[in-house]
Amino acid sequence: MSIEIRGLRKSFGEKEILRGFDLQAGENEIAAIVGPSGVGKSVLLKHVVGLLRPDAGSVVVDGTTVGESHGSALADLRRRIGYVFQFAALFDSMTVAENVGMGLRRAAGWTPDRIRARAEACLAMVGLEGMGSRRPADLSGGQRKRAGLARAIAFSPKYLLYDEPTTGLDPVTTTSIDRLMLRMRDELGVATLVVTHDMTSAFRVADRITLLHEGRAWFTGVPAEVRSSGDPVVRGFVEGDPGLYYGTGAGEPTAGRPR
Amino acid sequence: MRPTATPHRTATVGRGLFGGLAAVGRGVSGGLAGVGRASRLGVAAGRSLGKVGMWAPQLSPQMARVGVASVPIALFIATFTGIVMSLQASYTLTGTIPLYFVGVLVSKTMILELGPVLTGLTLAGRVGANISAELGTMRVTEQVDALETLAYDPVAYLVAPRVLAGTIMFPVVALLAVTVGIASGWVAALQLLDMSSAEFVKGLRLFFEPWDVWFCVIKSVSFGFVVTSVGCFCGLSTRGGAEGVGRSTTRAVVASSMIILFLDAVWAAVLL
Amino acid sequence: MDRRRDALVGAVVILGVLAGITGSVWLASGWGSDGQPVRAVTADAGQTMPGAAVKFRGVDVGRVDRVRIAPGGEAVVIEMIVRPDLVLPAAPAVLLAPESMFGDWQAEIVSRDDFPGRVFLERPDLEALPGATLPDMSRLTATADEIARNLTVISDRFRIAFTEETAENLRRAIDNISALSDGLAEIVDQQANRFDDLADGVEQSAQDLGAAARAARLSFERIDAIVQNADVEAMVTDAGAAAANVRTVTEDAGVFLEDLHAAVQRADSTFARLDRLMAAAEAGEGSLGRLLTDPAIADGAEGALAEIRTLLADIRENPGRYLRFSVF
Ligand SMILES: Nc1ncnc2c1ncn2[C@@H]1O[C@H](COP(=O)(O)OP(=O)(O)OP(=O)(O)O)[C@@H](O)[C@H]1O
Ligand SMILES: [Mg+2]
Repeated sequence: MSIEIRGLRKSFGEKEILRGFDLQAGENEIAAIVGPSGVGKSVLLKHVVGLLRPDAGSVVVDGTTVGESHGSALADLRRRIGYVFQFAALFDSMTVAENVGMGLRRAAGWTPDRIRARAEACLAMVGLEGMGSRRPADLSGGQRKRAGLARAIAFSPKYLLYDEPTTGLDPVTTTSIDRLMLRMRDELGVATLVVTHDMTSAFRVADRITLLHEGRAWFTGVPAEVRSSGDPVVRGFVEGDPGLYYGTGAGEPTAGRPR
Repeated sequence: MRPTATPHRTATVGRGLFGGLAAVGRGVSGGLAGVGRASRLGVAAGRSLGKVGMWAPQLSPQMARVGVASVPIALFIATFTGIVMSLQASYTLTGTIPLYFVGVLVSKTMILELGPVLTGLTLAGRVGANISAELGTMRVTEQVDALETLAYDPVAYLVAPRVLAGTIMFPVVALLAVTVGIASGWVAALQLLDMSSAEFVKGLRLFFEPWDVWFCVIKSVSFGFVVTSVGCFCGLSTRGGAEGVGRSTTRAVVASSMIILFLDAVWAAVLL
Repeated sequence: MDRRRDALVGAVVILGVLAGITGSVWLASGWGSDGQPVRAVTADAGQTMPGAAVKFRGVDVGRVDRVRIAPGGEAVVIEMIVRPDLVLPAAPAVLLAPESMFGDWQAEIVSRDDFPGRVFLERPDLEALPGATLPDMSRLTATADEIARNLTVISDRFRIAFTEETAENLRRAIDNISALSDGLAEIVDQQANRFDDLADGVEQSAQDLGAAARAARLSFERIDAIVQNADVEAMVTDAGAAAANVRTVTEDAGVFLEDLHAAVQRADSTFARLDRLMAAAEAGEGSLGRLLTDPAIADGAEGALAEIRTLLADIRENPGRYLRFSVF
């Protein structure tokens, strides 16, 4: 039971986003992927559920090569993976509870009553009890994010992929989401990939942290190794120093520098 | 050093011509690529009809949205078309042509052409835009991706019920529109043209053939299929935010209207 | 909520399908029109179809319900439904005729007394009114076209048979034959002694030849007389002109020029001339008739002429039926 990413490459047109990315995450493990905006973290996660197919390299989840499976095999795999979208991606034609129950609806043995109960329980887990009958449009950004999280855990997946679950949340909610992640790991033994910008959160929950830089896993290590790393890119990112990170001394990526 | 005017203009003309040709080339290849991708979606939708459990629960709501909700506008248009047909027919048929030809003209044009085509074009605007905007928004807000991660097949869940609903409901709406159009033409003939009911009905029956109704049904079935599948295709291939949604909605309406008129000509050539 | 929506969808679908089916059946069958049945028999239904109007004194009184072939196949039975209160005239009969240029026909209930000249088909065994069918426009053009073609054939044959050159050649040939036979006889006389046996045979041949030459000359002179006869000459040229004229009429009939009246007059004079030609051909001392090696041509033309005359009369009476107009 593991997620293994090997030599993953992906380009959009001329733009090379991933250039041979490697990562493993096993049972009971939370692997955090950090990196500045636009390096391809979301693109990476989408490869793990097969929303994008790699140009080269492979993603193997639970023994299944994602990029090569189709139809019912892929659907089976996806039922074992929970995906928390960066912008929640709630179905706005349904209530929040219906959103959460969506993945259960087509599974055997899930009666409407059972689905309702499960949805309510999941919403309670993310601190949204009693909000099941609301529409996504009536929620705040943070609430939406948590509803998306509830939807991802509803089916008790073996793998959880979080795309920036705590970005834009207040510190208290952030902490509770972090605890939820740890609880999912400890209680269900899920393998977790979490994409984040938030180093505090990453240090708190991650068993290992990978810095995605220039399309590769630039640095991988336990939080303590990241903290003590002498690598300028890692230090630049952790300390939030663009000069160090981009190595230009100018504090900006060359392309984005204003004239 | 100033360049002389002539080579400069030649270059501009050359560039203009070249640019024009390139645009035509891009348009053609882009159009063909679109047709290819759309037909792949059509094939996928056809194949996904096997996943009954996926689309069946969606069918009734879609039929309500595509069909039932379109009835008022379709009947509104048909009513006025019938009246106008009746009045204009009587204006055209002067002198030696018997007045009962108003009935012939109203029924023939309503059944063969205006019923299915006007309904098709109206619903291309109403239904095609609606589907395209909805699926486009779902696409750009990653709701389609979210469906996939929940092990739903977006084609079976989103496309199949819409296309099926359109294919079933367009002919139903068109038949209602034809009926109402002929009825309103009849009333107009009685009230405004001093025709007798007997005369009008004689005209209705004179050249009526049951095949005409089949023709109407076949046409609107194809229009329903085209409008919904083009709407789905444009919606699902949306890129880039609200602007992209707007663009693909326009594209869906324009493309399906054009295909409707093209198909109209094809059916007339093949089936009549 | 869901149940109500499903019910609404179901209702709309059923309503639409019902509208389509009942509408079609109603339009196709003519429900709601009850009345008394009237039956008529004709040799030919023309373009009369179910749904066609039935008229009496120009008033719409019903419609044709069915058109079928009579048992035995020698007639057509037109079954009509007319107003229950319609009283048929004395000696009722039914006339099938075009109602307009659209190809729809009508059945008119008439009294035979008003149409003494017309032949109605009678089949009392079928319990049907006698009926007659007026020729239709398309048949007029077809017949006129056929006549024109036949006339062209006839006039071509005349011309080929009677050029001056042919006559001259024929005369010369006959002169030659007789000169040859005279010379032969002379030689035989001079040499008679020497060739006694042979002479008898040759003499006989020469006399036979002479007789043949005389017979040929005789028949040639008869043909010659015909050729030089002004009447026949005029007839031949007439036939050509008539052919051309009929073509014009045919084309006119096809496109329907505004001046229908002029066309009718022109057609009339053409047919009058044709008529005279035909009469002369038939009487024409037999020789012209013989020259028409295909008697079917004359017969066909005669029949067609009669039909055209009927139609022309109808055009004159009801020009409205034949006027051209366009809608689409
Ligand atoms: N479908 C796509 N087509 C073309 N380019 C894409 C596509 N998806 C992503 N990209 C590009 O890939 C790059 C990485 O995008 P991605 O969304 O993975 O960034 P990210 O690391 O998640 O950033 P953020 O932290 O802001 O979410 C971006 O430059 C983006 O423009
Ligand atoms: Mg992202």
